[in-house]
Amino acid sequence: MRDGQIILQDVGVGYRIYREKVSTLKEAVANRFRHLRTAEKFWALRHVSLQIPPGDAIALVGHNGSGKSTLLKTIAGVLEPSEGAAVTQGRISPMIELGAGFDPELSGRDNVYLNGALLGFSHKQMAAKFQRIVDFSELGDFIDLPVKNYSSGMYARLGFAIAQDVEPDILIVDEVLAVGDERFQEKCKRRIQDFRAAGITFVFVSHSLSVARELCPRAAVLHHGRLAFDGPTDAAWERYRELERGPAPGPVFQA
Amino acid sequence: MIEAAQETRPDAVAPQAQPLPQGTRRPPRIVEVWRFRQLVALLVVRELKVRYKRSVLGLLWTMLNPLLLMVVYAVVFTTILPAAQPNFAVFLLAGLLPWLYFSTALMQGLMSVLVNQELVRKIRLPHAVFPLSVVGSNLVNFTLSLVPLFAMMAALRQPFTPALLFLPAAAVILTLFCAGVTLLFATATVFFRDVRHLTEVLLQMLLYLSPVLYDLKQLGAHQSWWFQLFRLELRVNPLSYLIPLVRDPVYYGRLPSVPTVAVALLWASGALLVGFAVFTRLEPRHIHHL
Repeated sequence: MRDGQIILQDVGVGYRIYREKVSTLKEAVANRFRHLRTAEKFWALRHVSLQIPPGDAIALVGHNGSGKSTLLKTIAGVLEPSEGAAVTQGRISPMIELGAGFDPELSGRDNVYLNGALLGFSHKQMAAKFQRIVDFSELGDFIDLPVKNYSSGMYARLGFAIAQDVEPDILIVDEVLAVGDERFQEKCKRRIQDFRAAGITFVFVSHSLSVARELCPRAAVLHHGRLAFDGPTDAAWERYRELERGPAPGPVFQA
Repeated sequence: MIEAAQETRPDAVAPQAQPLPQGTRRPPRIVEVWRFRQLVALLVVRELKVRYKRSVLGLLWTMLNPLLLMVVYAVVFTTILPAAQPNFAVFLLAGLLPWLYFSTALMQGLMSVLVNQELVRKIRLPHAVFPLSVVGSNLVNFTLSLVPLFAMMAALRQPFTPALLFLPAAAVILTLFCAGVTLLFATATVFFRDVRHLTEVLLQMLLYLSPVLYDLKQLGAHQSWWFQLFRLELRVNPLSYLIPLVRDPVYYGRLPSVPTVAVALLWASGALLVGFAVFTRLEPRHIHHL
């Protein structure tokens, strides 16, 4: 298995839906842990198999609640599949949310090191990247200000600047391009193109066809937790539209 | 019902039965935690930084806090309820410091996975780094609070003996114990939020059920059944073995006895083993309960 490869085999992620919400021991004891027995399983994702070879770029599309984010989190290793197997090889840079893990009280500088450590980098390794990150973020002297004083654009810029410099084998991006001003968005897109050119595997969640087509030749459509299509982006989009239009012509999708 | 409506269409990719490549299993949890040791160190620094950033006295608080508590207890036990111990302030502080280490680490640590849920939801990392970093920052506090203890000893002419060299070992054993218990309670709190309130009450009771404010030797020879029960509790209570690790060198100027150290070590390693095993076992389910 090579770095950058993703194999999903019959992946299912199930949540227990409790009829009664029990979040305290008192409630659990009071109804004798009945909530465990009456719980129903809800599959946010089921029977999803995808092979993503190193260097491939794939866009994930689907309606809200189709399981896109769940799939992304499964690939990132945040969620463990309750069925099947999700295997990845190499370092993953999860841009599931930019600036996840920033501590508002700490300065931008401290947060760069904290975020680096969250991604498994040592202080020394981050020190080597530090100037590049500050340059990319265009924050200048603001880097020594607590990030709670940052504007949301500055916040996202620093987040992207860190994520783009972690030498990933797999880059996971969830709608982050919707932040920052247009110029910075362009810069992010260019950076992602660079990654693509360097042969880095790229998984992207998108609601926009134009961006998806620009970045990924391949797309997978998720519909109610199932993989409904996997193929060229344009065809995937057709399928997505068709599914969105309501009950599909095929009998199997009539709810 | 919904299930049936979601049969995959023919053009959907059918699940392919392919053998997964070997050697791609997740590494053992302990290895993962070790890989993130720098993160633990950084979280410790962050915790200390954030905690003391806004206060004028800064790190001095760490030293003042146990001192102020000790003053309260010292007043209670010397003037209101006369105690038999000479140099009672040193006696108290030597018992309070390990107790405060344990109870503070536990109370902060059990919330740590919940407090950091934004991270847990978004980044793949061993959740144990959070309770462990809380224990770490409290270890720093414990070490710092030895300064006022030594100052108090000097002021009250308490002899400094070579037995004090045992304190680092005591700190290690205490830390293992704190880590184990904190891990256990941190994962329990994810599933049941009221574990926190329960623990608060239990700790208050435990303070009096443990030889923190008194010594085992001070107990009389009452024969009533409840006193026998109390003695039994003290024999089982891990703190009966952990507190003397600090108090014996500091107050009595002697090394803790070998059986005491052995039992303390047993409790500490047992707590860590159980705590870590339970924590990592339940860890994959945390995210569904945040």
